[in-house]
Amino acid sequence: MTPFQVFLQQLANGLTIGSIYALIALGYTMVYGVIQLINFAHGEVFMVGAYVGLSACLWLGLEGVAPGGAMAWGFVGVVGASILGCALLGLAVERLAYRPLRRAPRLTALITAIGLSFFLQNAVMLVYGATDRRFPALVPSVRWNLGGATVTTLQLVIWAAAGLMMAGLQVLVMRTRLGKAMRATAQDPTACWLLGIPVDRIISVTFAIGSSLAAVGGVLFGLYYHTVNFHDGYLIGLKAFTAAVLGGIGNIPGAMVGGLLLGVLETLGAGYLSAQWKHVFAFVVLVVLLLFKPTGLLGERVADRA
Amino acid sequence: MAVGALFAAATGCGPREPVVKIGFVSPLTGDQASPGQDLLKGAQLAIAQAQAEGPILPGYRLELVALDDQRSPTQAVAAAKKLVSDPDVLAVVGHLNSSCTMPASAIYHQGRLLQISPVSSNPQISRQGFDTFYRTCATDDLQGPAAARFAVKELAARTVVILDDMTTYGRGLANEFEKELTALGGRVLMHEGITQGDKDFTPLLTKIKSLQPDLLYFAGMFPEGALLIRQRYDLGVGGHFLGGDGLYDPTLILLATPQAADGIYATTIGADIRQVPTAQEFVKAYEAAYGPVGAYSAYAYEAARLVLWAIKTAGRKDRQAVLAAMKTLTDYPGVFGRQSFDERGDSRIRDIGLFTVRDGRFVFLKTVSVE
Amino acid sequence: MKPAGGGHPPSPPQRRRFPWLSWLGFAGACLVPLLGLNAYHVEVLTSAGIFVLLALGLNLVVGFTGLLHLGYAAFFAIGAYTYGLLNLHWHVPFWGGLVPSAVVAGLCGVALGIPVMRVRGDYLAIVTLGFGEIVRLTFTNLEQWTGGPNGLLGIAHPVGWLPGRGWYDFGVDSLPYYYLVAAAVALVATACWRLADSRIGRAWMAIREDELAASCAGIPAVHLKLLAQGCGAAIAGVAGAIFAAKQGTITPDSFDFILSVMLLAMVVFGGLGSIVGVMVGALILGALPEVMRGLDQYRMLLFGVVMILMVRWRPQGLLGGPQIRRELTRG
Repeated sequence: MTPFQVFLQQLANGLTIGSIYALIALGYTMVYGVIQLINFAHGEVFMVGAYVGLSACLWLGLEGVAPGGAMAWGFVGVVGASILGCALLGLAVERLAYRPLRRAPRLTALITAIGLSFFLQNAVMLVYGATDRRFPALVPSVRWNLGGATVTTLQLVIWAAAGLMMAGLQVLVMRTRLGKAMRATAQDPTACWLLGIPVDRIISVTFAIGSSLAAVGGVLFGLYYHTVNFHDGYLIGLKAFTAAVLGGIGNIPGAMVGGLLLGVLETLGAGYLSAQWKHVFAFVVLVVLLLFKPTGLLGERVADRA
Repeated sequence: MAVGALFAAATGCGPREPVVKIGFVSPLTGDQASPGQDLLKGAQLAIAQAQAEGPILPGYRLELVALDDQRSPTQAVAAAKKLVSDPDVLAVVGHLNSSCTMPASAIYHQGRLLQISPVSSNPQISRQGFDTFYRTCATDDLQGPAAARFAVKELAARTVVILDDMTTYGRGLANEFEKELTALGGRVLMHEGITQGDKDFTPLLTKIKSLQPDLLYFAGMFPEGALLIRQRYDLGVGGHFLGGDGLYDPTLILLATPQAADGIYATTIGADIRQVPTAQEFVKAYEAAYGPVGAYSAYAYEAARLVLWAIKTAGRKDRQAVLAAMKTLTDYPGVFGRQSFDERGDSRIRDIGLFTVRDGRFVFLKTVSVE
Repeated sequence: MKPAGGGHPPSPPQRRRFPWLSWLGFAGACLVPLLGLNAYHVEVLTSAGIFVLLALGLNLVVGFTGLLHLGYAAFFAIGAYTYGLLNLHWHVPFWGGLVPSAVVAGLCGVALGIPVMRVRGDYLAIVTLGFGEIVRLTFTNLEQWTGGPNGLLGIAHPVGWLPGRGWYDFGVDSLPYYYLVAAAVALVATACWRLADSRIGRAWMAIREDELAASCAGIPAVHLKLLAQGCGAAIAGVAGAIFAAKQGTITPDSFDFILSVMLLAMVVFGGLGSIVGVMVGALILGALPEVMRGLDQYRMLLFGVVMILMVRWRPQGLLGGPQIRRELTRG
């Protein structure tokens, strides 16, 4: 491999993990944008999404299915099941855990989020076992050569899915009545309530959408790495959260940019400097960026208080 | 005072019936719950078998007390003190991580409690001079060099990339491998750490691909091992792949897929568990009860059986007597062959087994004895 | 320095505070082991006591000054490693290592405080989170100095002197550490009470309420924020040295992000800014996982449920003051 080919390969690697970060970062950013809540349990929702996808695979009998129509429909079914499961989980989390605390001090929700994380992680561990589970292949693993870099079909699917989700979300938030209501709620929930906007429902929908994106991320993650573990939500969730902040928390294109940037920088750091320091790079980039641009790449000023 | 009441409620103060307890500690929740629970199942199997055979000491009921240390040294110390404080506990099987076994062993020593660690392989633990400490696994300074000799002499590897998972186990094993490898004239192109729980090793493997080593050595556990093997296959990285006993788990092949895992090598401690007659029984019983045997289940089973043997031999409920009985052990028919211990408490079984993956299964190649 | 007291926002009616309460509490704590607790119970209380110490330190930063800190475990780690390295390389005894641990951790707190001065609110939380992870990963990676993932082994236990017993090593007994931690908690709690009532403490709270107004009133906000972060970090450093001496072994994974978040949860659950509340919160959240240890695999699941239910029961924290409740409620 020439050095340039190595670079291209690393770029492809970075864009893939970056796309997954971006999908999860969107959930953090949307919830934050609407109710200024850092939903630390979001990483676990992503992990649950992967497991729901796994269950759907097993239930639909997709283990070892041959490429073709059945596989394509299987893929759609698995993603759909995962979205449904996570959206319901998101709604339940909002309704049962966060809504009762809406009038409580802001940091209180942090405790709830940690409690939820412990609960979801351990519930999945008890249901599915602590050992890594294999995720069946639902996308034919054809390798493509892009200028010397090897790219699998799955990577193309991941890039496309992340791009489509992002575009769809942007349209939803900027062009629809629902999106308008979400933006209004973000600015002033009390005024919205006075104007007859169903604030509670808008917040629920925000959680559901964010969780659905995490579900897609979870399934793609499972497909890409072939394994899922109940502990996966922690590190990926932390990284996605970092990505959301990097882009400017509360800002939807920011989450996308932040996710891709984090994925690529981390990959290049691991590939060219040291893999051992890989996770340090992610946080050093974050800290340095925030020191020079205290609101993230595309962010605005946010809540000033503890 | 309320706290005291809570403790009383948690520890349970029912009517006292004569009971002999065996303590067990490993991570049962958290990111290392998987190997931790494998250990627990091994110990549970031994206890269940002993219970079926009748009372271990006349008039006493046998009980396993399983505690969770979440691979945190702080919690390991708390768990150790809990066991030492309970007069019914006569011996302990645990812990998993060397970083936990190290501080906990001092507490067991002070409490005169026999401790057999199934898999804490850091050599330093047994050099603290505690007469309460034993372990059923080989130390890292045996397995690493054996792997290095195999790599240089039989795989003719001249250039090597070493990866470890930056745990006490992985880093220790990798360093021993590296030492012997350079002594034998091999060249280490790179020695890097990966993070346990990480999933994406493509950046690292892309770099390794451009270095074109003859061999990639990985000291770590099978979940990361499986990902490395699979991603290495997807990226088309050439050369041999060799790993330590952390990889020897059928789940590795399942996770990595048989075609990606084909032809990799792994060393294990002890001979082929599926060929030793005593182990056959264990494997059958374990699979009937819990499914496929985990990488470390057999060590915990062995440790629990040794503990039971020591209690039985002591013949009374007394920690000191159990320790004295353990000292007399020689040629115990264990899972890995005839088990006995040196003056430090390290197992005298020092055979290193060598395996490769063929057609989706681990195939035993040979036993490498350690000089 | 301009007078700080004159212009800060109308403060809540000054409550009388009771420094003697901490001595009473200390005396009470000294009697607890006489209740027939065994070594394990004492060990659990000692560990919870270290959490109390950490929560008190974090409370200075988050509760008093209103700076959201998500990387506090880093200072705990720095304190522990400072004593560990001093002891292993230069045989510095525990009592000699205590002060350097506090100083080094405190300086790190200030050093982190300077660059993040511009970063506010939730972004500050993230920068400190990043800092915490960087410190932990650095300790993991700098193998030649810190022992890498193996950590530092064989750190000396403290040596004490008692009339009638002479010099003796604390060893792995729980009791001496229990008294050591109880004394440290009493000292730190007293210091916190005095601080809360002092000009500095009131200025911190003024910054928390409204930084702009506070600095307009002549409060040197920058210096005081750095002071809060330095003091908070120094307390964590002391806790770290005690922890290292008690354990004898320290590994980087004892100081992870979860610990930082749990500490913050203790402070919030106890009631931000309330010293007694924070201590009770830390005691409960610190001891609860231990009390639930018998549940083995179900332990963390139920712990999570308990955390969720606890905050639903008291969303403002156990002893959250009214002004803090007002301050932290949005909208």
